[in-house]
Amino acid sequence: MASFLAHSAALVAALAVLPHLVGEFWAYTLALYFLYAIAALGVGLCWGQAGLLPLGQAMFFGLAAYLSGLSLIHFRDSWLLLLLLPGAALAPGLLAWGIGLLVFRGRTLTGPFFAMITLALTLLAFQIANSWNDVTGGFNGLKNIPGLPGLGDFIDLYYVSAAALAACVLGIAWLRRAPAGILWRAVAQNEQRVRFCGFAVQNAKAAVFGISGALAGIGGALYAPQQSLVTPQLCGFILSADLVIWAAVGGRSTLYGPVAGAVLIGILTADLRDEISYWEVILAAIFIVVVLYFRQGLMGFVEPWFERLWRRPAGRGRDGPDRPVAPSEAGFALDDIRVRMGSVSILEGLDLAVDRPGIYCLIGPNGAGKTSCFNAMTGEMPVRGGQIRIFGRDRAGATADSLSRIGVGRKFQAPSLFPEFTVAENFNIGLWGGRARLPDLLRMRSHSWSSAILREAQTRFPFLADEDRRAGDLSHGQRQILELVMVLIAEPRLILLDEPSAGLSQAETREVIEAIRWVGGRLDACTVIVEHDMTFVRELADRVFVLHQGRLLASGTVAEIQADERVRAVYVGASA
Amino acid sequence: MDPILTTNVLNVVYEVSTLAVVVLGLAVVFGLLGVMNLAHGEFVMIGAYCAFFVQAHDLPFLAAVPLALLVCGFLGLVVERVLVRPLYARPFDTLLATWGLGMLLREAVEAVYGRGFRSVATPLTGSVEVLGADYPAYRLLLTLVSVALVAGLVWWFVRSATGRRIRAVVNNPELAASVGIPVTALARNTFVFGCGLAALSGVMLAPLLPVNPTLGLDFILKSFFVLVVGGLGSLVGLISGSGVIGGVESVVSAVSDRTWGYTTVLVIAILFLWLRPNGLFPRT
Repeated sequence: MASFLAHSAALVAALAVLPHLVGEFWAYTLALYFLYAIAALGVGLCWGQAGLLPLGQAMFFGLAAYLSGLSLIHFRDSWLLLLLLPGAALAPGLLAWGIGLLVFRGRTLTGPFFAMITLALTLLAFQIANSWNDVTGGFNGLKNIPGLPGLGDFIDLYYVSAAALAACVLGIAWLRRAPAGILWRAVAQNEQRVRFCGFAVQNAKAAVFGISGALAGIGGALYAPQQSLVTPQLCGFILSADLVIWAAVGGRSTLYGPVAGAVLIGILTADLRDEISYWEVILAAIFIVVVLYFRQGLMGFVEPWFERLWRRPAGRGRDGPDRPVAPSEAGFALDDIRVRMGSVSILEGLDLAVDRPGIYCLIGPNGAGKTSCFNAMTGEMPVRGGQIRIFGRDRAGATADSLSRIGVGRKFQAPSLFPEFTVAENFNIGLWGGRARLPDLLRMRSHSWSSAILREAQTRFPFLADEDRRAGDLSHGQRQILELVMVLIAEPRLILLDEPSAGLSQAETREVIEAIRWVGGRLDACTVIVEHDMTFVRELADRVFVLHQGRLLASGTVAEIQADERVRAVYVGASA
Repeated sequence: MDPILTTNVLNVVYEVSTLAVVVLGLAVVFGLLGVMNLAHGEFVMIGAYCAFFVQAHDLPFLAAVPLALLVCGFLGLVVERVLVRPLYARPFDTLLATWGLGMLLREAVEAVYGRGFRSVATPLTGSVEVLGADYPAYRLLLTLVSVALVAGLVWWFVRSATGRRIRAVVNNPELAASVGIPVTALARNTFVFGCGLAALSGVMLAPLLPVNPTLGLDFILKSFFVLVVGGLGSLVGLISGSGVIGGVESVVSAVSDRTWGYTTVLVIAILFLWLRPNGLFPRT
């Protein structure tokens, strides 16, 4: 908090002094590029944090500029202006949020798809602005837009832009450090894990796109009175492209990168465009070089040093809120589940039921459908027939995030976590899942949530106590354990573990066995483990299910299974 | 048949078949290299400017074909080496880099020729009577050439040894490399081939388009939507996608205006992305 206030004070002071240093002409020029910088901040947030490249941000900038221009032309002397101008800035945000909810609904829409939709939308916006003469003034645009009431000279305009920029920078600085920012970066790294931690990823993406739309909106709403002219080009792809270039060259994942890019390149362009005829070509070449070799951009060389200054050490304080009450019924029941992929039948009428807490092992030869069984239960594979009941209710078609929120935890076969994050950040995402409400995602306090299970895990696995390490730097076995703990600290009542001991040393396996037994007992949970290692199974399993060719072949205690002739037949040549 | 209806049907066939040629280049590159070349439209644009260049120097229109193939083939060769190959492992960055490349080509052409619209004279004037309707001869020729081009390429792809190698690489690059298929060279040639195809369609379409530096944008978007609607990786998908996108745009534009045609295409593409992201004919 103290560092945030110091940062705010420094930024405000710098922006206040600047016009006295550079003079009135430059202050006026800067005022314009500050507005573009606000929109570029939105690109940085959406692209640099959540990994979604918006190629059509100008559509929001232009929309706000038209709305604000029209408000000023028609209602300049009315008190309504007090509502209309903020509305002009917010409307694009709502539009972006709505578009986000539509396009991200129920799927992982990233990469080219999202970028191309936004590009197409901005071209459409240009067409509309260009041809809807009655409202937008067509090709010539809205002219003679009056300025903001009560503002006089260029310096006033500068201070309006600078204040807006400072507010937006600080708001984003807060968001980036808050849990919300961590979640966006988590989505960019490993969307599946975020869903399995109980977060509706589509909402997180729609939110970040909405905020970036609102930022473009703030820039656009102030643009109209400042420049007194709004033309269709303001919605076009050229400005959209410029915003992306500025964010990229300045540094898309840094806080000040988009601002630096917009101001430096913007002013250089205004200065050099007429002197150097190939300036735009050079700029495009610089962009390509940045994409190829300097993904962090200009500020990527500077900002890490400042980040280090105000990095808070990971520390744990009070326990987070309790998980919602336990479900009334334990376990799950799969009834005649059928799954096909193309022409291959994977599950052919699988029946499997677990109705009281305990540890259950799922074994079977490769291709028996063990992992597919987990996939079908957690909504990762479309089920073509049969019934899935979890905690006593029909869960057909339930998504991974909704299941996680009611208490289904899943660990994947290959460790699935957030390699760019520290161990602490990985834990936090596990802790927030199902516990954090929206306000918690904006509070810094949520970073220091703790939990009894986390403390216990850190005593059992001492390497987890060093929470400042990057998860990607851990060994394979350590990553397996980290993911397991991430799943367990969400306190699930149904725990699905896919080969938790794969790649572990014997000592680690022993510890993992102990931990699973301890957590299962403490949470009163049903733990289902897919495992090949028979010592592991013998040690842990209250009951064993044998899968073969997509069906349940046998079930019983370890001894019963080992005596079963059919199981022996399936495993001929194998180790049972 | 009613002449107006005939004309409209021919317009749709023209739109669909020429679009299919543009998309074919994009789709082949995407299918083989997994690279969505966002500068594909700019290669079309350069092809169109080649036609303009040829006309400005009083050369026969057909001279634009080898010129465009040379220019874009060479560009494609350089781009593949400098931009595409280093980024195979980073598909999202390829997207950005080719988008930057598109920008660079647009700006470069603009620096030379300016932003204004240029027009290229139609090499084949006059019209032909088709089923009672007078139809511009050049459009008809273009439709025939496009159909022949797509059909010929598909036939070659299915029958030739190179086509078989390409399919092998798409299926399993490592295995293909280990049985001695020169994957790197094949990838390079495919990319150059895709650029050449774009250039060729640029030359062909130049007389019918307002030639300007930004004309590629329309093509890349439309081509992308074709791939979205049709599904990646099959010929049926390519043709049905071109049919839906090209057909809908030309029909709606004819009934109302271009903005509506554009809007409808956009809405269809978004609906597909949303409800059927793998398209009509997904790759299995």
